[in-house]
Amino acid sequence: MTLKSLLLVGGALLTGTAASAGGYQVTLAGQKNNGMGGVGVGLSLDQAAMFYNPGALAMVKDRGVQVGVNLTMARNAFVAQGGSQQRELRNTVTTPFNLYAGFGPAEGKFRAGIAVYTPFGSKLQYAEGWEGRTALTDIDLKSIFVQPTVSYAITDQISVGAGLVVLAYGAVNLQRDVPLPDSYGHIELDGKADTKLGFNAGIFFKPSDKVSLGVNYRSKIDAHVKDGDVTFTGIPASFGTRFEATKFSATLPLIATTSIGVGLMPTEKLTIGIDANFAQWSKYQSLRFDFDQQINGQTFSESKRNYKDALTVRVGGQYKLTDGLTVRAGGAYDETPVRDGYVTPETPDNDRFSGTLGASYSFGKFGVDVSAQYVSIQKRTETQQQLVNNGTTDRIAGTYKTNIVIPGIGLNYAF
Amino acid sequence: MNTFLFRKVTPFVTLLGFGLTACQPDLEKDFEASRGTADFTRYIAVGNSLTAGYSDDGLYLEGQQNSYPSILAKQFRTAGGGEFNQPLFTEAQSNGSGYLRLTGFSATGSPITARVAGNAGRVAGAPGSAPYTKFDGRVDNLGVPGIRLADIHTANFGNLGGQTGAPTAATFNPFFERITPLGNSQSYFQRVKAEAATATFFSNWLGNNDVLGYATTGGVGGVITRTDTFTLKNNRIINALTANGAKGIVATIPDVTNVPFFTTVRVADIRARFKAGNAALDVYIQTTGTAGAQVVRLATDNDLLTLPSSAVIGTTTTGNPFPVGAGLNATQSNPVPNQFVLDATEQTSVRNATTAFNTAIVNKANEKGLAVFDANSFFSRVAASGFVTNGVNNTAGFISGNLFSLDGVHPTPRGYAVVANEMIRAINIQYGASVPLINPNDYRGVKFPQ
Repeated sequence: MTLKSLLLVGGALLTGTAASAGGYQVTLAGQKNNGMGGVGVGLSLDQAAMFYNPGALAMVKDRGVQVGVNLTMARNAFVAQGGSQQRELRNTVTTPFNLYAGFGPAEGKFRAGIAVYTPFGSKLQYAEGWEGRTALTDIDLKSIFVQPTVSYAITDQISVGAGLVVLAYGAVNLQRDVPLPDSYGHIELDGKADTKLGFNAGIFFKPSDKVSLGVNYRSKIDAHVKDGDVTFTGIPASFGTRFEATKFSATLPLIATTSIGVGLMPTEKLTIGIDANFAQWSKYQSLRFDFDQQINGQTFSESKRNYKDALTVRVGGQYKLTDGLTVRAGGAYDETPVRDGYVTPETPDNDRFSGTLGASYSFGKFGVDVSAQYVSIQKRTETQQQLVNNGTTDRIAGTYKTNIVIPGIGLNYAF
Repeated sequence: MNTFLFRKVTPFVTLLGFGLTACQPDLEKDFEASRGTADFTRYIAVGNSLTAGYSDDGLYLEGQQNSYPSILAKQFRTAGGGEFNQPLFTEAQSNGSGYLRLTGFSATGSPITARVAGNAGRVAGAPGSAPYTKFDGRVDNLGVPGIRLADIHTANFGNLGGQTGAPTAATFNPFFERITPLGNSQSYFQRVKAEAATATFFSNWLGNNDVLGYATTGGVGGVITRTDTFTLKNNRIINALTANGAKGIVATIPDVTNVPFFTTVRVADIRARFKAGNAALDVYIQTTGTAGAQVVRLATDNDLLTLPSSAVIGTTTTGNPFPVGAGLNATQSNPVPNQFVLDATEQTSVRNATTAFNTAIVNKANEKGLAVFDANSFFSRVAASGFVTNGVNNTAGFISGNLFSLDGVHPTPRGYAVVANEMIRAINIQYGASVPLINPNDYRGVKFPQ
């Protein structure tokens, strides 16, 4: 899950909306979209438009509720520079979900709705004793976003919409080993994010039955954890006085994402979507933790990130085979925001390619959506020399490769 | 759910299953070990205390187990390497020659060490000292603590019975004696030559003691080996090691003035300590003057004080009003004795010898096409800017730096692991091999009291 989002985002602590915003390939906000490479900004498929482009919500024919859940299974391999031993994650599965409810008059120009989604339910647990243990052993991010949304069709062809994005729940747990001269201790940072607000707004334009266009902007939110708990374990008494912190605070920029999308409907049965997402990752320059008391003489730690803005391109389509059955396929290319020599174990990132499949079957007002994504994060190598040159030797040199498989299922009911 | 849906969904689910099994990435095939043009079938290690695994001012089992040759051999095994036998002390004699351990810190933060008694002596009633219980198995690690390159041709070097007069470090070595059959008069060179006959790969790191003895005694004890002698003997031992076509690696001699033995006790700190008590005091040292006479003078920040001087400086001397090291002027003082001071002239002698020895080592290695680990430039870089191992900071600092043991000269297991890694890098480059590195963080720095 967002393995990437996880980390990308925050190194993640709570990274938030931005990553979930579809700026990344592992975007799981709508089960239909999931099967189509994550497109949606230029389409008005279903209630998930609240996430992809609130402006399109008013053009969604049905009102209804829909829920979806995904199983995210990340598989990672790491070999330290010069080594030959492959390290693999202690694998975990997370279950991000989404829920939408859309309301409005049947023939009216208004639509309103509420969206709940979990862009980061991520978890990475590295192998016991792996080479990067002093950088990270475990990371677990949980977040729930709630987004009340309204949309209005100004004309038959153009509609606008906006949602108030509420970071309703955010939790982070970061753990790593502490190097001591003759052993290792362990530090765990565990905290909850303050509730924060942002917005999600969009415009949707449908000049004809065959073409639609969308523009969407999701704002930046600075997720802030205050009074998180710091817990040390395995520190021998002789070093106890060096590790006194009990609380930490940290702030993470959940960066803004701007998207444009095009929808093409050459026939009544075929819909094609093309999206581009521009994520302003350059706001993420460093990850800093402030502590209430010293750790090894320091009351803070700061680690360089130096991310750059990144572009994602998505293509997907659906075809209505029968009255009940619709099939989908898609793909995406996601440019990494992580520069060479800045890769961290929380985000063993690189450019990623993903392929998706999906299908829906409709039983009248009820429908079932299934989707599957396969994400291949390209092999990424960084050398100790790069780390030394960048002043980023707090992480580890080596080669990472990650694949992610994400099957998902959703149910929907139209009023 | 109707069968139609089932038919449609089944292939989809099957595809998903494929996706999952294909999901785990595999990088191992990208990093397979290989030996290149080297052959690690039988590796032997030639050298001194550094090669033996000496640490904390002693040779003991844990140090031996973490010697760089044992780490190298373990990694060579992934690339066709064979068995590697070290003359390990038994568990019952695991304290070996005895060694230093850290017992705590004084109120001012100075480390306090205590000696763990040795238990490998073979003479009943003297278990703590040489002669040691003989090791008569096959030996692939020929590291002999204390040996100089100048000593390699000394007959009876490991034969107590062959000594005429009282044994000295120049005529006899108890660690060589330990691995030499009783009564055998062979020199170290002869032993190496005999072992080299069946070796396919070697490491050679001799020569440190040809300058170290002079340096650690402040230029008072020990002499620096003549460069021509050093060059000749280095050439001979490399010729013997390569006579049967074996490939190998040699290491240069680090500049010893970079190690904690000379960098921990600093004149500036001592001066500040004295002046805190009495602003009129300064640091005075005894040193060797131009004509070879002992002179007393004001210490400068360029004078290096040895680690053992910390036990002497500041103590009282009967009949002298000043604590050791303090004084008002050259005649009214209690100077730090000469053997604890390496002055600028002596440092120059040490550096010049180190440079000359390293030239001899590198020239011969190049002539034979051997890999070279330039320990001198490596440890100079470590002293200047530290060395990060997989995210963990290490420096050349005493105790806190992780790399140097409690004697301030010999590495900790972490330090030896770093040495092994640097050698592997050099070997991989020279012989087109892919011997994997180890994670130095799996090896400890200085052991703290529990």
